[in-house]
Amino acid sequence: MPDKFRIALAGNPNCGKTCIFNMLTGSRQHVGNYPGVTVESKSGNFSLNGKEIELIDLPGVYSLSSSSPEEAVVFRELTRPGIDLIVNVIDSTIPQRSLYLTTQLAELHIPMLLAFNMSDDARKKGLKFNIAKLETYFGSPIVQTIGNSASGVKALKEKLAEELDQLADHGVPMLSYGQDIDEAISEVAGEIDSLEISEYSHIPSRFFAIKLLEKDTCVMQIDKFKPAWETVDEQIRHLADKHAIEADTFMADRRYAMLAGACRDAISTTNEKRREVSDRIDLVMTNKFLGFPLFLAIMYATFWFTFICADPLMGYIEEFFVWLGEITGNLWDPEVMPYLRSLVIDGIISGVGGVIVFLPNILFLFFAIAILEESGYMSRAAFVMDGVMRRFGLQGKSFVPLVLGFGCTVPAIMATRTIESERDRKITIMVLPLMSCGARLPIYALIIPAFFAQKYQAFTMWMIYLIGVLVALIGARIMKSTLFKGDGEVYLMELPPYRMPTLKSLLLHMWDRGRMYLHKAGTIILLTSIILYICNTYPEKKEFSRDYDTLIEEAAQNDEIISSLENAQHAEAMEYTVSGRVGKALEPLFKPIGFDWKITTATIGALAAKEVFVAQMGILYSEGETDEESEGLRAKLVKNYTPLQAFCIMLFCLLSIPCLATLAIIKRELNSWKMAVIEAGGLFALAYIMTFIVYQAGTLLKIGTTLIN
Amino acid sequence: MKNGEKNTGCSLAELPIGTKAVITGFSPYSREKKKFADAGFVPGSELQIEAYAPFGGLIRVKVMETSMALHRDDAKCILLKNQEVNAHA
Repeated sequence: MPDKFRIALAGNPNCGKTCIFNMLTGSRQHVGNYPGVTVESKSGNFSLNGKEIELIDLPGVYSLSSSSPEEAVVFRELTRPGIDLIVNVIDSTIPQRSLYLTTQLAELHIPMLLAFNMSDDARKKGLKFNIAKLETYFGSPIVQTIGNSASGVKALKEKLAEELDQLADHGVPMLSYGQDIDEAISEVAGEIDSLEISEYSHIPSRFFAIKLLEKDTCVMQIDKFKPAWETVDEQIRHLADKHAIEADTFMADRRYAMLAGACRDAISTTNEKRREVSDRIDLVMTNKFLGFPLFLAIMYATFWFTFICADPLMGYIEEFFVWLGEITGNLWDPEVMPYLRSLVIDGIISGVGGVIVFLPNILFLFFAIAILEESGYMSRAAFVMDGVMRRFGLQGKSFVPLVLGFGCTVPAIMATRTIESERDRKITIMVLPLMSCGARLPIYALIIPAFFAQKYQAFTMWMIYLIGVLVALIGARIMKSTLFKGDGEVYLMELPPYRMPTLKSLLLHMWDRGRMYLHKAGTIILLTSIILYICNTYPEKKEFSRDYDTLIEEAAQNDEIISSLENAQHAEAMEYTVSGRVGKALEPLFKPIGFDWKITTATIGALAAKEVFVAQMGILYSEGETDEESEGLRAKLVKNYTPLQAFCIMLFCLLSIPCLATLAIIKRELNSWKMAVIEAGGLFALAYIMTFIVYQAGTLLKIGTTLIN
Repeated sequence: MKNGEKNTGCSLAELPIGTKAVITGFSPYSREKKKFADAGFVPGSELQIEAYAPFGGLIRVKVMETSMALHRDDAKCILLKNQEVNAHA
């Protein structure tokens, strides 16, 4: 029976902890340089010298207090019984800061192993560690590691195996906070001992005594300690009166003082402090005047990469689906289950294919964003943009999610987890759908080339995106002043040194997010395509107003007449179906914004997933190929709608709810159906009102109200 | 007031880039002192102003060998002693 152990991996954000986690467990996690990539703790497994080890990658935190949800999670995990050993990963290039967490972890008296990571960088910086002294100080063995290489982690593995064999003999730290405070701690610890709280018996009372003296929120919430509060308050008063010590910050004070002493004693620098490369780059990147233009340039490059470079790939995918449709058509005998056959070819393959076509776009966008995140640029972007974003009720950290929204709203909403302030997070999520996502692209790509002259096409596309962004910003501002009033959180963000990302981690990062998009395609869109196909073709009209079959036969060679007859027949059949009836029924509602029943039907279908709009229009105008490249469909649209109507269609699609998947995610992330419904309703109302205004104003002013042909 | 000591708020928010200063404490109006203290903003720590964000708002400082961004309003509540000036004391 192998020995089983549970080990927690703890450390600051950006210390390379996750890299070590990957090295040890071989599982896939991303290395994000942007603070707080996840709040959930991750775990993996590996075996070492015949021992089975469960490794838990705790979120990166600076301290064990309760300033943030991440810290609360780490606190909870470590005070719960079951952790056999803590591996504390330290960025050894900045020991004084990194060891701050260590001092708190040490008080837990859980066996600990310190990994002085990035030891190669530390050496380059000229830092020399007196390992023996530091080991005595913290009561824990120290290993020097280089997290991103297998050899760099070897020493860690060996030491780990060694330690696991002698857990009971682990050392005890020798940390003194100064006589005055040590006395207060002993008093309170004594009081806690007398309470005999069994569930925390594995953790020394000293740990909780210190936390109570700091008035730590998490510990204050544990009822079992309430009886000790009197002693705690007494001691705090005593410290304030006798030693002029301020309660909330004195522990931090003393810890850093302790560390300063220890570092002076055991760490030496041989190099002078030179300006590091990272700082030099930042002279321009965070420069007051250059920062913003550079940011815009980088954003432009990102978009260029995403849209232009992905284009050829999209072509290939499209061809693939057309081919797939044809092959299926050829192999599947039309006589066998004809309805199902059409469903598969025209419903599923068309519908799902229409979505997968965008996969290159999405993947390229996520790849670009992965580069920005992993290199460390994202925090600079947040720094530069924070001022602007605040004027609109958002903040710098909202930035990445909003940019992701241009690719796909679903992962973008998930990315808002990095925003600590609940309120700011809510606002960001609520306006995210207005960032014109990839799903709406087919709609623009269908309509714009049809209705607008070549020289205006790029401009029109740009306008649409811009409108989305502006409405989002204004909406956020309004929400900030009304629904979500109040002070924001206190902002404190680290700007870690720039780092060269590895291709492997970039691809993993990209794939993690791209996977969500595919999942969405595989499930909701598949389902919706099927449902819509059924609504579009059922019930089938058997008797028509005219005998079309005979008329078509009579027309013989005259293609034009045949096709117009076929269209008429199709239109009649369409009106008879569920989709047609719903569309016709709702037509009066949508007429004021310029929609006829066909657009209405397509829009309703598009409420499930925006990509469906184009497919629906294609079906309604009975086109064989139902994508935005169809010359036929475009020509038909131009014949039937004015430019004003076309613009209104795009506007409505831009502003209304993107898709069911988005609503599902909103419900999940905000934990409330109410918010999701409000979001859906709110966006619909917004879309309706704005389109109404534009359509009516346009009609009155006679802008774009004449058919082009 | 000792030579070079700035005890009356409005300190961190106005210094030129590159200035080094030592933290002496927090003003009574500061919010979430503990968050800052944990990050290394404790009396005795050296702080260096690195950059001011465009569009106002954030200030970038180096403290405990790490670059941190904080808001001007919170920066105003961090009390400093300008090191260069004090060298003459």
